[in-house]
Amino acid sequence: MITKQIRKWLVSGFLTLAVATTASAQTFVFTAIPDEDETKLVERFRGIADYLSEQLEVDVRYIPVKSYAAAISAFRNNQVQLAWFGGLSGVQARALVPGSEALAQGIEDQAFYNYFIAHKSTGLERADELPEGVRGKTFTFGSKGSTSGRLIPEYHIRDRFNEAPETVFSRVGFSGNHTRTLRLVESGTYDVGALNYKVWEKELEDGNINTDDVKIIWKTPGFPNYQWTIRGDVDERFGEGFKNKVRQALLDLDDPALLESFPREGFIPASNDDYEPIRSVASELGIID
Amino acid sequence: MSGFAFNDLRASFGDKRVVGPLSLEVQQGQHVALVGKSGAGKSTLIKLLYERLTHQASLVPQGLGLVNALPVFHNVFMGQLDKHPLWYNTLTLIRPFRKDRDTVGALLNKLSISDKQWTPAASLSGGQRQRVAIARALYRNANILLADEPISALDEPMAHLVMKALTDQFSTSVIALHDVDMALAYCTRIVGIQDGRIALDQPASELQAADIMALY
Amino acid sequence: MLSYPTVRASLLFLAIAVAGLFVADIAITTANPWRDLGQFFIGVATPNFFSTEGLLTALLRTVAFGFVGVALGSFFGFLLALVYRLLPVRIFCAFIRAIHELFWALIFLQFFGFHPLTGVLAIAIPYAGIFAKVYSEILEESDPEPSRLLPPGTSAIASFLYARIPDCWVQIRTYTAYRLECGLRSSAILGFVGLPTLGFYLESSFSQGMYSDAGAMLILFYVLIATMPIWVRPKLLPAYLLAAPFFLGEGFPIVWGNVERFFTEDIVPSPLRNGEGLAGLSSWLGDVMITEALPGIWNTVVLTQIALVATGLLSLLAFPLISKHFTGPVRRTSGHVFLVIARSTPEYILAYILLQLWGPSMLPAVVALALHNGGIIGHLIGRQTNTIELRPDAPAGFTRYSWELVPRVYRSFLAFLFYRWEIIMRETAILGILGIYTLGFYVDSAIQNIQFDRAMILILITASLNIGVDVLGRYIRRKLALQTMPTC
Repeated sequence: MITKQIRKWLVSGFLTLAVATTASAQTFVFTAIPDEDETKLVERFRGIADYLSEQLEVDVRYIPVKSYAAAISAFRNNQVQLAWFGGLSGVQARALVPGSEALAQGIEDQAFYNYFIAHKSTGLERADELPEGVRGKTFTFGSKGSTSGRLIPEYHIRDRFNEAPETVFSRVGFSGNHTRTLRLVESGTYDVGALNYKVWEKELEDGNINTDDVKIIWKTPGFPNYQWTIRGDVDERFGEGFKNKVRQALLDLDDPALLESFPREGFIPASNDDYEPIRSVASELGIID
Repeated sequence: MSGFAFNDLRASFGDKRVVGPLSLEVQQGQHVALVGKSGAGKSTLIKLLYERLTHQASLVPQGLGLVNALPVFHNVFMGQLDKHPLWYNTLTLIRPFRKDRDTVGALLNKLSISDKQWTPAASLSGGQRQRVAIARALYRNANILLADEPISALDEPMAHLVMKALTDQFSTSVIALHDVDMALAYCTRIVGIQDGRIALDQPASELQAADIMALY
Repeated sequence: MLSYPTVRASLLFLAIAVAGLFVADIAITTANPWRDLGQFFIGVATPNFFSTEGLLTALLRTVAFGFVGVALGSFFGFLLALVYRLLPVRIFCAFIRAIHELFWALIFLQFFGFHPLTGVLAIAIPYAGIFAKVYSEILEESDPEPSRLLPPGTSAIASFLYARIPDCWVQIRTYTAYRLECGLRSSAILGFVGLPTLGFYLESSFSQGMYSDAGAMLILFYVLIATMPIWVRPKLLPAYLLAAPFFLGEGFPIVWGNVERFFTEDIVPSPLRNGEGLAGLSSWLGDVMITEALPGIWNTVVLTQIALVATGLLSLLAFPLISKHFTGPVRRTSGHVFLVIARSTPEYILAYILLQLWGPSMLPAVVALALHNGGIIGHLIGRQTNTIELRPDAPAGFTRYSWELVPRVYRSFLAFLFYRWEIIMRETAILGILGIYTLGFYVDSAIQNIQFDRAMILILITASLNIGVDVLGRYIRRKLALQTMPTC
């Protein structure tokens, strides 16, 4: 009985090993920053992997990671060649990998914006600037490495109050991602939070937000955000013109279900220079050296 | 060349002098019994002698010094670890060679514990443990035997068997004994210890049990 | 009473913890903490074992990483134990065990990436340090008499094999098996930073409020730990050890250039990298110290002290649950189940769950640390009371507890508690990754900002703090003449 079990395990172990060797041969691997619930990400990017695999005629695999930094490290270490980064993580990654470039961004990513949201108990109302009333409340960012969850909100908080978030608010936390920021403010764990408008609108559309409990109090000005970034050395590894093929495949993506899962209207070309505003804000806040 | 002579043997425990200073000369062929009250310094004297004789002596200490987790065979085999290369000893630990099994087996047979050859020392009775330590000393087969109360846990027939085996195999020996009759029966010379000094030193043939009892 | 040094020491630590409560951030910040907790328990009661396709694989990987990590750790730990009397070796071992598995994993992730080696080394390295210390203590305590009796000229190795090892073998085996259980726990939490073990899926389902999925994973984990005596058999071990490396998963090939880059560039303080020289370095160091290290150290120490005393109180409350002097066999069994669950759940997972339910503050961390460590100490003390025979007319109830039992076990209770002091501090630091402002928070932030030089300095500071507490704990144990066996 036990020996049979072991034999079964051994066999499946060798199978995994076999998979490992083939996977490392010529698989094009990509990742994405974990900015939303993992189930959603896996569903979305498995679809992308299938699509790219078909278009590029190579094996394409998506690997989920647990943090923004892990996505950047995997990209930097050449364990993934392509990544769906946020504005900030893209800037950080491209600074670390010479020759890498922003390939494509969502149409909405040219002028992305954030919502500051508040729990009903705060009594805060929507305003044209971040309300003075947030002072002394508890506040949550998204992930530490997030553009719309951290960088942009922190920039605007400092800009508005001329103080660090820790002194403006009575408690500052990092929820981990946008979905969680929404849930934590909705449940009243935090009074105020900041999140990516796309996540808000998608959840609202899907009927997942109780608007009696949580409401938008401020919308930030626009900034460039998410983009596909690719390593500079993919042509050497996957053949001449591979980078352009990837770009073209992304720009051609018109499957409504896939686009809806992001959600984006479609993808347009992007360049490294598009993200200069993000770089300068990050450098001002001391997040990058 | 297995006699010895040491001068100025002494040992202290803290400020208290336990042994000596004393001198002891033992000729080849002598079987010396150390007798005396417990605490007189017999064990310490045996230890002192072993420190000086190491290479030439087989020792049976009062604590026996068995490795409890190892079987009897290996405890006995340890008496000759210096005679084999490392690979041989390591293999023996896993699976002993027939030649050694036979030799050790014969020895254990002589001490009537051959049925315990593969029993861990931890699960033996006091008397059996004592015989394992004796078997180790016999197997070591040095020139001189130093033994500290080697028969304290044995019944009388077994005690005779062991004393005979020891005095037969070792041409020279120093054995601490509390059993005066045994000392007179198997040893050729009696050394009485009192307060760390030699209080009596006579050939066994010239002594009666009563003469020795004076020491107690 | 006050004339007893043990009582005085206890009161001193109690006073420090109470003072700590005034400065600590203790709060429940969620609006409906009890509803969430209720939902969680409902989830555990209605586990969904078929949610994730990867659940069984994750379980297998958890075991595989645990086995390979502990095996390598014990092998190298044993070699180190042989030379443990050398001061540099002792310092080296103290250093590698002062850095938590998760920190090691975070370091290796930066250059090995998602290669199985990351997880294996993250367990093997700190475990080697711990094994070296404990093995050497066990070897030292073996009976020296048999080796003194060996014929002169016996080689050192033969003498070691015959006269030392067999004597310690049972203890070494028991301790190694015990560490294997710890290794499974360590392996599970490595998933929280992205390795393919149980923690990976636990974090995902938990953060999305899928409590039935999370419940299933927790139950599987408890079953795995509780059935260890059944499936970990000495005869099967070689088979497991041979098979385990094949179950670590695929991962990605190591690029050695990344390793070189990490050590020659990434962790070099940025002022030196940018040629700003020593002046730049000192202002950089000053900045790290003031904005990150000092607040981190302060919070870590405050939380550790509170958690230590909470652990002590909980252990004293918990041990009667399994003591034959208080309860019958039936209630004792449920006491055992409670303590097994408390101590089998890694404090990191407990803290993670409580943080989700109660919101971020030091409270979830204190409760998690107290539950896990109190479960361990309560179990050990309870077992110890079962060896005590009370006189037939001994008082019952609270008088029995306070007059007959506590005085008898108090010394070993304190010994265990001070032994675990350093372990509690190591965990406290790491809980920062979950969002409590201890040192781990700042390490994680530095890594998230891709500032490995800062992360490295902060990890080194954390390690020194742990070593300091370890030394202090040992000093106190010696001062109070307390003796104990190692726990993990």
